Amino acid sequence: MPQAQAEAQTKETPSENSSRDRILQQIRAGLRTVVPEPPALASDRVIFEPVANPLERFQQECVLNLMECALTADRAASARQLSQVLQSLPEGEIFVQDDPSLRQLIEVAAPGRPIRWSSQGAPAEASQATITLADALIAQTGSILVTAGCGGRGASVIAPCHIVYATVDQLVPDLTTALSRASRDGILDRNSFACVISGSSRTADIEKILVQGAHGPRRLVVILQRES
Amino acid sequence: MSTAAQRFLQDAAIKSADLLHREVIRRGMDSYDAAHLKGRARIKDWEAARQRCREIKREAINHLDRYLLQFEEKVIARGGHVFWAANSEEACTYVKNLATRLGVRTVVKSKSMVTEEIRLSPALEKAGIKVWETDLGEFIVQLRDEPPYHIVTPAMHLNRSQIAQLFREKLDPAIDSDDPVDLMAVARRKLREAFFAAEMGISGANFLVADAGVVAISTNEGNGRLCTSVPPIHVVVTGIEKVIPRLEDLAVLWPVLATSGTGQGITTYSTLIGGPRRAGETDGPEEFHVVLVDNGRSALLADAEQREVLHCIRCGACLNICPVFRHVGGHTYGTTYPGPIGSVLTPHLNGIKEFKHLSFASSLCGACSSVCPVKIDLHHHLLQNRRNATEAGATKSSERAMFRIWRAAMGSPSLYALGGWTVRKSLRLLYALGLAETFLDPMRVWNRYRSSMPLPSESFRAKWRKNRAASSS
Repeated sequence: MPQAQAEAQTKETPSENSSRDRILQQIRAGLRTVVPEPPALASDRVIFEPVANPLERFQQECVLNLMECALTADRAASARQLSQVLQSLPEGEIFVQDDPSLRQLIEVAAPGRPIRWSSQGAPAEASQATITLADALIAQTGSILVTAGCGGRGASVIAPCHIVYATVDQLVPDLTTALSRASRDGILDRNSFACVISGSSRTADIEKILVQGAHGPRRLVVILQRES
Repeated sequence: MSTAAQRFLQDAAIKSADLLHREVIRRGMDSYDAAHLKGRARIKDWEAARQRCREIKREAINHLDRYLLQFEEKVIARGGHVFWAANSEEACTYVKNLATRLGVRTVVKSKSMVTEEIRLSPALEKAGIKVWETDLGEFIVQLRDEPPYHIVTPAMHLNRSQIAQLFREKLDPAIDSDDPVDLMAVARRKLREAFFAAEMGISGANFLVADAGVVAISTNEGNGRLCTSVPPIHVVVTGIEKVIPRLEDLAVLWPVLATSGTGQGITTYSTLIGGPRRAGETDGPEEFHVVLVDNGRSALLADAEQREVLHCIRCGACLNICPVFRHVGGHTYGTTYPGPIGSVLTPHLNGIKEFKHLSFASSLCGACSSVCPVKIDLHHHLLQNRRNATEAGATKSSERAMFRIWRAAMGSPSLYALGGWTVRKSLRLLYALGLAETFLDPMRVWNRYRSSMPLPSESFRAKWRKNRAASSS
């Protein structure tokens, strides 16, 4: 960089945190004003109806979220289900999280399909589908929790179809449980990214009319296996 | 040059009489109302949920310094950068210099009202950087060179044929459909190119989670996901008041935000990001920056009455229910944040003198306070703004003179009687001469849109005396 330009830049750029102390001082000064506290919420108030049957609730919420949930008995049934979903998609490469369980499944379900494994890098823009695992399934909202460990960030948003392979024992009843567990297990210390996904991408920005398939997947398919 | 208040009155008059606008807004709000009520019914105890959200935000705001520092420490430990910006200029300069230094030519943005507030896009475009808004609604208003109409649904003032026409003019003259599915597909194709060409993604944040040290971003379209996954640099621009104490707080804040914003149980993508791509991760940005914008917010902490305005989670519920917003529309406010929350907040951010009129443009019906998911007492804050404006002397000298005369008259019965007599007589003469509604008519503001008020034949005091005498005899 020419010297003049470098100088101009140092002059222009406030040093990394020149306002930091001033802002903190102003915050502390402001907080010295005492604001009366209204009474706290009674502890016996229940905000969300407790989830009695997580599997049933998850399936109901999937319908509301416009996602597909196929309940399978075992690995062989899951492979058949996956094969069916893949046959409904156009020819072309699919992206798969590089995990032994998915390698086994793909061998049976997608012979001949060009595959890009997550160990080879992010999914191509033209991928027909992505297949990943999930960290947890949340019954209350019909959601899947994915992290960067589930094939990366793009794995759940780049392709027009996202397929999740999960087992029933990954179900947690509600958001509180999922988030406390994420906190306790330090999921966000091990992953730079996590996402609670509740359906395929959508918009209602034109006349409030729901359009499924905005910038992300049009289809979100969960293959939910009873046997772990 | 007209003032903000004059422009507001002009635009309000035009918009309230615009039948197409009324129709588009009515339909949009009807569908929101239905979804919102259905969503609320899915939460067992809605009032408890609001109360809980208010407590979370109050806890965060009352210890704002501590929680911001906790958040900052975590982000820096993961290799992210945190920049504290006192005002718009500092924030824009930081992002612009970062972009210039790293050779950024194209930026993709997901929806962020703070970037609108600090006018980030114009600052970047002035430096020769191409900025793409990627939320469909934001993309539409960007093509129209307009600010967002609403903080959640930026293009709700347009119908499909207007949007199809816009896309034909700006993107592809061959577009022959106005079906929202096809229009979305056009935007998706166009913006896919931008996502994969951009060197920088800019997002806002719905929450900054202190204990986990992550930003929480809620989006439905997936554009926010792509902005934060594909480009090699991710910059978060957000307000300091977005911080919350604990990750578990999202278990109630996410559903309540989604319910109040769109009626959904939870937003489709509720994303948590704590830093740049880690070693061993498949993808993600190499650089992660968080710009914490103050821009007048910290000054609100010292306001014992209005500190809670910082609890706002920007769901848009108060805009949607507001009878004033529904009639005059979002652009009429001439502010980044329209509707009741904007009328309360803008005088604090941009000055009470120029924006006090917004607090007067309300019937104080209280609908906004009744729906606010964090229970901000919005209509009382509007009333306080009116008082503050008056105390700060931000009133017209003619108004002050009128009130002085009024006060003198109220203090002296004979002066009051004389005043009443004079006004009655002179108005009667004025109307007899056919001068009603002209500039000489002091009642013209009322009479212009209504049949003129009948003038009483005698004063209230005279009637009172007569009635008393009749009933006692």
